[in-house]
Amino acid sequence: MTREQGLDGPAPEERPSPAGRRNKQGIRIDPEVEAKHDPRRTVISALVEHEPGVLAEASGLFSRRQFNIESLTVGPTDDDERARITLVVEEPDPGIDQIKKQLRKLIPVIAVRELEPDAMRRELALVKVNAERPDQVAAVADMYDAKTVDSSPETATFEITGARQKIEAAIETFSQFGIREIARTGTTALARGTDDTAAPAPAESTANEANNTPYTQPADDD
Amino acid sequence: MSERAPPVTATEEQHDDQETQEESAETAPTKDVEPATDAQPTPVTTGAESVVRALENAGVEHAFGVQGGAIMPVYDALYDSEIHHVTMAHEQGASHAADAYGIVSGEPGICLATSGPGATNLVTGLADADMDSDPVVALTGQVPTEFVGNDAFQETDTTGVTMPVTKTNTFSSEPDRVGTDVSEAFALASEGRPGPTLVDLPKDVTNAETDREPDEPRTPDTYEVQERADPEIVAAAAERVENASRPIMLLGGGVIKGDAAEVCREFAIEHEIPVVTTMPGTGAFPEDHELALEGAGMHGTGYANMAITHCDTMVAVGTRFDDRLTGGIDTFAPDAEIIHVDIDPAEISKNIHADYPLIGDAGTVVSQLTEAVDESPKATKWRAQCQQWKSDYSMAYDTPEDEPVKPQFVVEALDEATSDRAVVTTGVGQHQMWAWQYWTYTEPRTWVSSHGLGAMGYGLPAAIGARFAADDDQEVVCVDGDGSFLMTLQGLSVAVREKLDITVAVLNNEYIGMVRQWQDAFFDGRHSASDYGWMPEFDTLAEAFGAEGFRIDDYDEVADTIEAALVYDGPSVIDVHIDPQANVYPMVPSGGDNGQFALTEDQL
Repeated sequence: MTREQGLDGPAPEERPSPAGRRNKQGIRIDPEVEAKHDPRRTVISALVEHEPGVLAEASGLFSRRQFNIESLTVGPTDDDERARITLVVEEPDPGIDQIKKQLRKLIPVIAVRELEPDAMRRELALVKVNAERPDQVAAVADMYDAKTVDSSPETATFEITGARQKIEAAIETFSQFGIREIARTGTTALARGTDDTAAPAPAESTANEANNTPYTQPADDD
Repeated sequence: MSERAPPVTATEEQHDDQETQEESAETAPTKDVEPATDAQPTPVTTGAESVVRALENAGVEHAFGVQGGAIMPVYDALYDSEIHHVTMAHEQGASHAADAYGIVSGEPGICLATSGPGATNLVTGLADADMDSDPVVALTGQVPTEFVGNDAFQETDTTGVTMPVTKTNTFSSEPDRVGTDVSEAFALASEGRPGPTLVDLPKDVTNAETDREPDEPRTPDTYEVQERADPEIVAAAAERVENASRPIMLLGGGVIKGDAAEVCREFAIEHEIPVVTTMPGTGAFPEDHELALEGAGMHGTGYANMAITHCDTMVAVGTRFDDRLTGGIDTFAPDAEIIHVDIDPAEISKNIHADYPLIGDAGTVVSQLTEAVDESPKATKWRAQCQQWKSDYSMAYDTPEDEPVKPQFVVEALDEATSDRAVVTTGVGQHQMWAWQYWTYTEPRTWVSSHGLGAMGYGLPAAIGARFAADDDQEVVCVDGDGSFLMTLQGLSVAVREKLDITVAVLNNEYIGMVRQWQDAFFDGRHSASDYGWMPEFDTLAEAFGAEGFRIDDYDEVADTIEAALVYDGPSVIDVHIDPQANVYPMVPSGGDNGQFALTEDQL
């Protein structure tokens, strides 16, 4: 038996409804302010306490919040107590903003910064190829400034460093010989000149970036 | 952020008479703890003593927990402490009790558990505290360091398991540092945006000798909290408020946690701005005030949801724009410029874009706004419209005599029988929504519920925690559901043992009612696993525990039975047999348009 349950009042279709709408990012759709947020690739650098668990904490954050991370590297700095995490992410602007803010909230994270498009970005790759045509292999290695790390009658292994684009181009060219194995480090990066990559900053400046992050254009460096 | 008395730094100088003092304190315990500045505590000798000393230095009076192998050294040290330990029946209850204690007192609630199952049982309460930003400190035992990673008996990677559901956690590996780790966890739980913290305590570390007194509770240097918002954005926001024609204030849980209810009330009343609250913000504004539109969201009032949908300016304070509040993002306050005040920068523009991002402490920033707003918005017509909605979408319900007791009636009767400062705790489901909708909240820290996590079973252990935090003249009432109550009712043993004056009203419909309501609306009425069809007699069960049991079947029993249960000095349980067909309205379906809330099932 079901009795009628509920409350009195005008039904939904009898109510006025506002004309406006918001997009998926919660931004009001207004032709003047509407910006289309396409994903873009950028580098975020974080200075963190050099202690166990920090990397797990950061990577756990990215997976549970579904942030799209392309690469993540971590290593010591000149200060024994600090390490640097370098992330390459691909997200629309609001997502990049969230990554920075959520990362900054982790207690062992000291500073977070999105690098300028002109930042120095490097990656190292080890590429092991078949060495049946040694001369041609050597020519390709030369073209990409690759160093020979190991060679045997069957294989040659090269070390290539550079921006992501260069490494991908090298791998593609090497592939004609038959690639046996590849290992890549992921991108690491530093800001140019006297610019600090990620240094402790007063709370005000971090916080006021809230909605005022000057979004930069993707670099063609990678 | 709550103000605390400055913690006492333990001195290294010790006096000869300490031991005698300690003994006399043991034999003649006094309820009032001596002012800490005069106390001359015995020096710590072990890691465990350092842990307990850290709690004492922080002013902790109560802790909730369950004993077990790896936490035994800490409990042994607690044996000599003035801290009142409440032995819970299950660790989930310990974390919920600590959570409710934190909500009502504003100070971190403390819970303890052993390693392995003890720690994993805490997780639900920690996740709840994390979602609702409640200050909680969890101390968990751990197997000795040399066994960690070997799958030892009762070993769980506790810091790993709790990482996503705590504000921060620490594996404490140094006897000289363990007390300070606890101090730091205490400071982090309440400073800035509150949340649960956890310190994992390996048994060899707590057993180890150390004479190192813990440092005072202090957040690490890397932890920065912005108190004041950017004055330029404040000025711009103030101008927006002045020029608004359809303004509302949306007060969230941050208003209560930041002790900002008073300044928000003054601001709203001064400028005659209608006020909507989120569910955690319940009590931030008196619901009997003319400007109050009460709660918004999935089961918010029709008038709150109309106001949210049609406003042109929203001053949102201490809210994270949860999906149960916003409904579909596309239709959330689509004409409103949003002034968003929050202490956590990551909440700004996370779900809803903030036109005026104001990062800082709720009270401080609303005071800044108060300073900056010179003229009240001209919104006479808007206020009249809000009043019109209040009468159009009245929450009035029928009470036909030939039908079972309506749950709304029971909630109103409980409200009527208690003082304005009574604390209400709930489980999760239909009863929770009725307790929210039909009780008139007027004070902060009187609504204690599981919001973000929606953890059934929260109500009873929360009532236990709330009882220790509330003043003696504040009644503590748990409005529970039969399903929720059944999940944690072992806590009755704690309430009886501790002689706690709490009243549990179980709104019993023999259903997982909210699921049944959704099945009726969205699953063709197929009551899969929601229809109990049989429930224990909760009044008899309560008696078996040593509590007082009552039962209500008819309207004419409601007032007297509630009165008798409230008068009983100890835990009482009222098994209220409500109309099993009763549903919660208004209702906005998941992802729906707040302005299109349904008042009946056929409108869904």
